[in-house]
Amino acid sequence: MLRFLLNRLGQSVVLLLIVTVITFFLINLAPGGPASTMRMEASPEERQAMIEKLGLDQPIYVRYIDWITHAVQGDLGISFTSSEPVIQRISERLPYTIELTVFTIVISVIVGILLGVLSAIKRGKAQDHIINFMSVIGLSVPAFWLGLMLILLFSITLGWLPSSGVGSRGADFDLWGWISHLILPVLILTTTVLPNIVRFTRSSMLEVISQNYIRTVRAKGAKESIVLYVHALRNALIPVVTIIGVLIPRLLSGAVITEAIFGWTGIGTLIIEAARGRDYPLVMGVTVMITIVVVVCNLFVDLVYSRIDPRVKNV
Amino acid sequence: MKKSKWKFLSTLLLSVVLLAACSYGGESTTTSGEKEDGSSSASGPKKGGKVSIPIVADPTFNPWHPNAYAESNVINRVLFSGLTQPGKDLAPSPDLATKWEASEDGLEWTFYLRDDVLWHDGEKFTAEDVAYTFNEIALNKELGANNASYFQKVKEVQVVDDFTVKFMMESPVAALPAYLSFNTEIVPKHIFEGNDPWELTSFNKKTPVGTGSFKLKSYTSGQSVVLERNDDYYGETALLDEVEYKVLADANTHVAQILSGELSIFALDDLAALDRIEKAKGVTVEGRETTRFFWLIVNQQVEKYQDVRVRQALLHAIDRQNIIDTVLKGYGTIADAGIAPALKEYYTDDVTRYEYDPERAKELLAEAGWKDTDGDGIVDKDGEPFKIDFEIGIQGDLEAVSQMVQQYLVKVGLDVKLNAMEWNTMIQDVVVNRDYEMSLNWWRYPADPDLSAYMHSNSIKGMNIPAYQNAELDKLLDAGAQASDVEERKGIYLDAQKLMADELPYMFLWYPQEAQVRVDKLKGVPELSFGDALHYIHEWYIEE
Amino acid sequence: MEASTQTNVTSGVAVKAKKRKNTLLNRLRQNKVAYFSLWFLIVLHVVVFIGPFIWTANPEELQEVGALASWSLQHPFGTDDLGRDVFARMLHGGRVTLLVGLAAMLFSLLIGTFVGACAGFFGKVVESIFMRITEAMMAIPNFFFVLVALTVLGTSPIMVIVVIALSSWMEIARVVYGETLKWKEYEFVEAANASGAKSMRILTRYIIPQIIPSIIVSGTLTIAAAILTESAISYLGLGIQPPTPTWGNMLQNSQQYIWTAPVLGILPGAAITIAVLAYNFLGDGLRDALDPRFVKK
Repeated sequence: MLRFLLNRLGQSVVLLLIVTVITFFLINLAPGGPASTMRMEASPEERQAMIEKLGLDQPIYVRYIDWITHAVQGDLGISFTSSEPVIQRISERLPYTIELTVFTIVISVIVGILLGVLSAIKRGKAQDHIINFMSVIGLSVPAFWLGLMLILLFSITLGWLPSSGVGSRGADFDLWGWISHLILPVLILTTTVLPNIVRFTRSSMLEVISQNYIRTVRAKGAKESIVLYVHALRNALIPVVTIIGVLIPRLLSGAVITEAIFGWTGIGTLIIEAARGRDYPLVMGVTVMITIVVVVCNLFVDLVYSRIDPRVKNV
Repeated sequence: MKKSKWKFLSTLLLSVVLLAACSYGGESTTTSGEKEDGSSSASGPKKGGKVSIPIVADPTFNPWHPNAYAESNVINRVLFSGLTQPGKDLAPSPDLATKWEASEDGLEWTFYLRDDVLWHDGEKFTAEDVAYTFNEIALNKELGANNASYFQKVKEVQVVDDFTVKFMMESPVAALPAYLSFNTEIVPKHIFEGNDPWELTSFNKKTPVGTGSFKLKSYTSGQSVVLERNDDYYGETALLDEVEYKVLADANTHVAQILSGELSIFALDDLAALDRIEKAKGVTVEGRETTRFFWLIVNQQVEKYQDVRVRQALLHAIDRQNIIDTVLKGYGTIADAGIAPALKEYYTDDVTRYEYDPERAKELLAEAGWKDTDGDGIVDKDGEPFKIDFEIGIQGDLEAVSQMVQQYLVKVGLDVKLNAMEWNTMIQDVVVNRDYEMSLNWWRYPADPDLSAYMHSNSIKGMNIPAYQNAELDKLLDAGAQASDVEERKGIYLDAQKLMADELPYMFLWYPQEAQVRVDKLKGVPELSFGDALHYIHEWYIEE
Repeated sequence: MEASTQTNVTSGVAVKAKKRKNTLLNRLRQNKVAYFSLWFLIVLHVVVFIGPFIWTANPEELQEVGALASWSLQHPFGTDDLGRDVFARMLHGGRVTLLVGLAAMLFSLLIGTFVGACAGFFGKVVESIFMRITEAMMAIPNFFFVLVALTVLGTSPIMVIVVIALSSWMEIARVVYGETLKWKEYEFVEAANASGAKSMRILTRYIIPQIIPSIIVSGTLTIAAAILTESAISYLGLGIQPPTPTWGNMLQNSQQYIWTAPVLGILPGAAITIAVLAYNFLGDGLRDALDPRFVKK
């Protein structure tokens, strides 16, 4: 177990290192550095002053080594655009993304498992077809188009829900204001992961139902609902845990678009701002942070998985 | 089986109902302030209330910081004060300075300062603050401060006494008071001294200390900046209790929120939603003149563009009125030269004008030697077809405008390839490397007719991006910069405009008007562009 | 002797493949939704690729009627915000969008098949390196990279295709890897191996042909994903830029007109959804048709 964990940890570190190298060289070799982001009016002297101040006149490998030595000590540098520590800018934004993704994952898992089980039990029946059909639609609609249509309906035409923003936090916080701002973004983000959970639960459930021991339980005369929910579902859920791990990168990718549509000031909008503003330290910081989040989630999923499924221990 | 079918349906129904219920709750909270006040209430200005203004990103509370863009300017001019401010006629009027004068040779400007100004932290404002702001920040070449280019001719700022400063010039700049009213607010020496002004995040990002009519109350990154009335303000004490700036990146949201009463005023950049706002009750859109001009440029370091007939042909080929009507929804005036109608004293339209006339465009091209000899629809000269690489940055309505311009140019037989690129890449190609053929953009300048920075031959490394050179124009611009008498300047700039229109250093497209969107209950906003009106925010008030 | 075994094996494979194909189409026919999707896609591609030759309006030209004109005989879908024919833009935009989808799919199939097949066939070091890379790529939210890469490197069509392909080959690699492992054990492959054929030859002549059905399924689903990604990056203004129309950038542009001319957004959005839906249904149908459990049922 410990060896397995250490092994995974080692792999994660290598992964992290590769990610930083690729991103660093990608952004630094691109045309139009931070000095270009200044106003059109900036004079060549002003641009030169900026380049020297940001240390961009150094060769790229020197800058990378400098960056990585600081990074391993937990110092992600200073944001070019705001002169604040990168860590601070990320920690201001990360909670919003976490809020959005946690709500989404909880709702998606609950609804997804319910629909998946229903679909499996009713295999080949109308319900199964409808759920399957809806899943494919969910996978096919461009999230932002759906978002725009929902804004058109709920915000513009009906005026029920706010079209954008995170609501007010702090002193004048109100519950409805918070929830009303969450509804549309969570709904949109849910469509990007829900279909996968439904489909995966369904196939996992089908596999379990067809197994011998369920037949045995059934033959013993247990109630059908007990058979399904206690015996079958419990076993079917084991592989479902893994898909959640797989879905987290997908969820975070989806969050970028969702945040952009709804002006949700999370990590997704931050990376867009950072890339547009050529804020190299911020781009690096967000990339590192996101990779760490994903790696940790995967480790966690592996752990949970090995807990509930004893077979993994032998691996 | 039937039972579970119902279960499924009811789950679905439940979620729909739940959603609807939530939404219904929202309705009751958001529909408010719809009252029509056709009756009385001629009560005039009164204290209280707040306004909400959208900004697109987190601000930097330092007007000189290279990262302080438009979102910061609209806050900084309320938090801080400059020596001068744009008057209601746009001519520079007193702010921190009560009066000013230039020496006979124009090489020394003396500014007399108010002696009753307090910083938001209670310290007294003095000439030292002005000297510090300029000598240590604006004129410090290593820092690359914003707007520093306006002060290139300033050698240094000297403190004469506590409330008098002298600007020592290398050469005369008649526009100096106008430049001092444009995003060049004074910052406190007692806080900045000994610090790197860009690294001082405790000030720039947290607790700015200014002299303006409002001071900072709270700031939440990514959300909002709230200012409260400064009761110790040296001018008229403000009427509003609070000014809230909401960070809203998306322009559609601005529209949605002003319609729902969550925002009070802003300048509408994207006019696509104009119809909708004009139809709405309680909100008014008004056109305001600004000192901006849109331009199309060709790189005059390339030989074929040095022929003025080619530039004239390009301008004749474009139906500018149609673009103004289609993209700007009428909020703009066809431009003939660079000086905008907002500068009423200097503006003239009595110059050569270029009507939409594709046939004339073709004639001019033919005169310049460009004819379609091989019948492929593209004009050519010495066997070379006229190909143009048209590079623009993606921002605002530049893309829409450029697509229309391209189509008009194609119609007169030019092979124009439009390449819309990310803003920074455009800056790199067009502004930094000058590696481009044609581009389209706009300039905004302080309320003064001195356009030397944009078309004088000595600014070719600076903002004279088309690399235009004309000794005659240089002479006029120099004369205008040095003349201190308004009447004298008028004559000079009249000639300059005529020359610009004939020569087309830039192909002047139009002077855009600002579409200012305002809720009706916000009163006391002077008839100025939104940015300039912010200097008078202490006069704004809410009438319920 | 050696030669004859080889021809035997190949012809055997050919027959087998043919049979499989027949049954595949037959099975697909039983799935009405997938079968309909197949026909719909054929029609859609014909319309989009042949259509512009019949409907010759230039999608970039400003029309006489001006901007935001409503539908008429000259302009069946009206004109857009600048006064261009929306119908022509839908046709040309569809062409670009579908081509980007196809090109990105082909490119990612190339990478995915190469990585998966090599890993499965050669095993050992190749396997562990290739599959670790694949897993790592799957584990990171690649949209962040797509975004950063396109922002800093620019948005030419080639760049868009390459970036989409680089972010979507992993699933294919996994499928091909699994299949290669399976087919490697079959007798005819072992026979070829024993007869001294070169590894590359075995891989390309014997194994990959067997995997083609799975590759087709993955490819179909990859097109769907690629079209969606293209539209998503267009939404962020990082896709193929105007004046070249794509459904994605038409949709992005329509955003500002959501208040005044919502139709401009509904058309390209619906087109994207329907095309992606059809590809997804077809892909699902093909997968079911290939599923061995299908036979049992």
